[in-house]
Amino acid sequence: MLRFIGKRLWDGGLTLAALVTLTFFVMRLAPGGPFSRSRKISPEVLANIQAAFHLDEPVWKQFARYVWGLLHLDLGPSTRFRDYSVSDLILSGLPYSLTIGFWAVVVASLVGVSLGIIGALRRNQPADYLAGLIGVVGIAVPIFVIGPLCQLVFGLKLGWLPVGGSGQGWRSLVLPVLVLSLPNIAYISRLTRSSMIETLRENYVRTARAKGLGGGRVLRAHVLRGALLPVVAYLGPATAAIITGSILIETVFAVPGIGRHFVDAALNRDYPLVMGITLLYGALLIFFNIGTDLLRGWMDPRLRHGR
Amino acid sequence: MRHLVQSLGSLVLAAGLAFAAPALADDVLDRGVGSEWASLDPQVNFDAAAGWIQSDAYEGLVTYNGKGEVIPGAAESWEVSDDGKTYTFHLREGLKWSNGDPLVAQDFVNSALRTLNPETASEKGYYFYSVIQVKGAKALADGETKDPATFGITAPDPLTVVVEMLNPAPHMLDLMGAFHMAPLHSPSFAANGAAGFIDPAKVVSNGAYVIKEVVPQSHVLLERNPNYWDAANVHIPFVKYHVTEDVATELKRFRAGEIDITYDIPLNQIEALKAEMPDQVHISPSTEVVYYDFNLTKEPFKNPDLRRALSLAIDREVLEGKIVKGEAIPTFSFAGGFDPTYKGPQIAEASLTQPEREALAKELYAKAGYGPDNPLKINIVSISSEDSIRRAQGVALMWKKVLGVEAVNDAQERKAWLDSFYAGTWDVFADDLVGDFAGAETFLAYLRPSAEAGYNWVKPEYDAAMDKAAQMPDKASRNAALAEAEKLLLDDYIFAPLAIIPTRHLISPQVKGFESSVAGYNNSQFLTLE
Repeated sequence: MLRFIGKRLWDGGLTLAALVTLTFFVMRLAPGGPFSRSRKISPEVLANIQAAFHLDEPVWKQFARYVWGLLHLDLGPSTRFRDYSVSDLILSGLPYSLTIGFWAVVVASLVGVSLGIIGALRRNQPADYLAGLIGVVGIAVPIFVIGPLCQLVFGLKLGWLPVGGSGQGWRSLVLPVLVLSLPNIAYISRLTRSSMIETLRENYVRTARAKGLGGGRVLRAHVLRGALLPVVAYLGPATAAIITGSILIETVFAVPGIGRHFVDAALNRDYPLVMGITLLYGALLIFFNIGTDLLRGWMDPRLRHGR
Repeated sequence: MRHLVQSLGSLVLAAGLAFAAPALADDVLDRGVGSEWASLDPQVNFDAAAGWIQSDAYEGLVTYNGKGEVIPGAAESWEVSDDGKTYTFHLREGLKWSNGDPLVAQDFVNSALRTLNPETASEKGYYFYSVIQVKGAKALADGETKDPATFGITAPDPLTVVVEMLNPAPHMLDLMGAFHMAPLHSPSFAANGAAGFIDPAKVVSNGAYVIKEVVPQSHVLLERNPNYWDAANVHIPFVKYHVTEDVATELKRFRAGEIDITYDIPLNQIEALKAEMPDQVHISPSTEVVYYDFNLTKEPFKNPDLRRALSLAIDREVLEGKIVKGEAIPTFSFAGGFDPTYKGPQIAEASLTQPEREALAKELYAKAGYGPDNPLKINIVSISSEDSIRRAQGVALMWKKVLGVEAVNDAQERKAWLDSFYAGTWDVFADDLVGDFAGAETFLAYLRPSAEAGYNWVKPEYDAAMDKAAQMPDKASRNAALAEAEKLLLDDYIFAPLAIIPTRHLISPQVKGFESSVAGYNNSQFLTLE
């Protein structure tokens, strides 16, 4: 087990190293630089500013400097948000992104799995069709349509919830979480439904029934455990994607998470901030993938003993 | 595994606290600032929107009322020497910083010195060595000297600030406000460095408000400063500046009452909002002008007739009123329209009707050797914002319709657009300039080859005319000289002036006292909330 984790961490480290290298150099191919925005300052002063951020050095030297900083857990200063270091900005944005992401995963899993189970047990009945409809809508309607629509209905027409911002406690959370979880509810419910239907036909389920176990017991102890494996496999990368992928949500609902910093950083050629957030996203993805593998191993004896 | 779940749980719980409890809403003025402020460091910040926060938290020697007029700030009076080169400011007695320390003249000197210090890496130094030429500023900015004794801004006594310039500059008062020269509280800067400007526990300011809370990408909360000299006349207890990146969301937040003054209005909603809530739509000119440069290094555009034809073929009224629809003001001049005391020229054909202009354009186009069999092909490099793209497409359409020119729009991200300008990879560059103050000189000085070589325009007469204007201490004669220079500029048709961009705000009926200011200053201290 420890060897397995160690190997995965080593692989993850290599991936991150490749990510850092690639991002660092590719980013510099984009036209413009952090301090090209003003055309009025004198060349001498511009040179001073470039020098203060070591942008006057050859690229390989900047890279060496960056890696050296990274090894000392220093992500460097932000060039767009001059008051902050990259670590400051990540630490200020991450809690918002994590909160929304966490609750979105919880809501998506609970609602998605429930809808999937209902669909599988009441196949081709009204409840199944309703769950299917929610699924289709959730997948087909993009966030930038459903987000403003929710703002319009719940924020403006009904006045139940704030339209945006983060100043009203849990009430500020509801809409972003709902909208972020919707596509995942859809996906998880379809996944659960098809996996359940398949599992219900398995021999071991028939055996359990033949033993005389009650319907609920069979469902909980045998069917669900098998049926949820693909859902868990999906959830790992999806969790990373939900936390990192809330850029659009954060913009629409004016949530001060890291996604917003990422967009601003890219548009303003804030090299250190782009690097820092890319690195964070990469690390999160690797972390959740390892977590998923461990969870699946725990749930599925075949994976544990089969290798 | 259980440990992992527990620690993850506690992390999320902690994160949940990040979504703070609501503040009392009634005594808070909520203002939108668009994208996040670049910096709250007064000597570094270069963003106009962040400038609003700065103008609330700090006060310069002078300040600006709601109409943008210069009024006494920390200085209650000032004198100008006869040659117009030396200004002597007299501070009010008993001024205090927000922490109770006395505010002294040297605090203003230190601010300018820090702005110019290369170690600060500030872009704002050019206000002091270029927009006005303070004695010794250039050498300090270039790092040739660090000696404050060489600098032309001095404090002979705690109540007097003297500014000595190399040339007279009647517009210098426009650069003595909080945005350009907020005072610096040296003890706290020495103790905390620039980090002190964003830490509410450490920040020390001298304006009508003090910074109480800073959350990146979310908001800055300001509270009334009891130590401000005119605190009795500051009516609104709290001001909250919200980051409002998305204009559509900002509009909804305005409708829900979460924002009192918006940063902007979505282009496609302006007409509907004007019909729905005419009293709340507030549109007024800003110091931003849009003009289309012709690439003077490319063969066809070396011909002034062709440049003139292209400029005349654009129907500016239709372009702004029917195509862009952003409430921009069509213009035939470059530097006019910002300062009512400046009577600048327009392009020669401004007095004609549009059909007459188009007829003339066709004639000039043919004269330059182009026609249906031999159409001119043009690429227009613009920014990829909605209004810029609409404008470029509109211009391309008019050139096609009137002259048969085949123009394509190459819309680029802002940074790439700036790079393209210097790379010269354009035939027509959708240019855009924001003035440093509400006057003609900021625009005309920028077009001098010595200030911006990127236009590749060489005109010794223009330099001479600008040099002549720069020596005039009195505003009226200086404006007349500037107008002569602008005439030379417009006569060469090196660009087609198109429009003056407005500021667009939605203002809640509860906010009183909001006026139009070209320079964009609307300090919260002059507003009231019902």
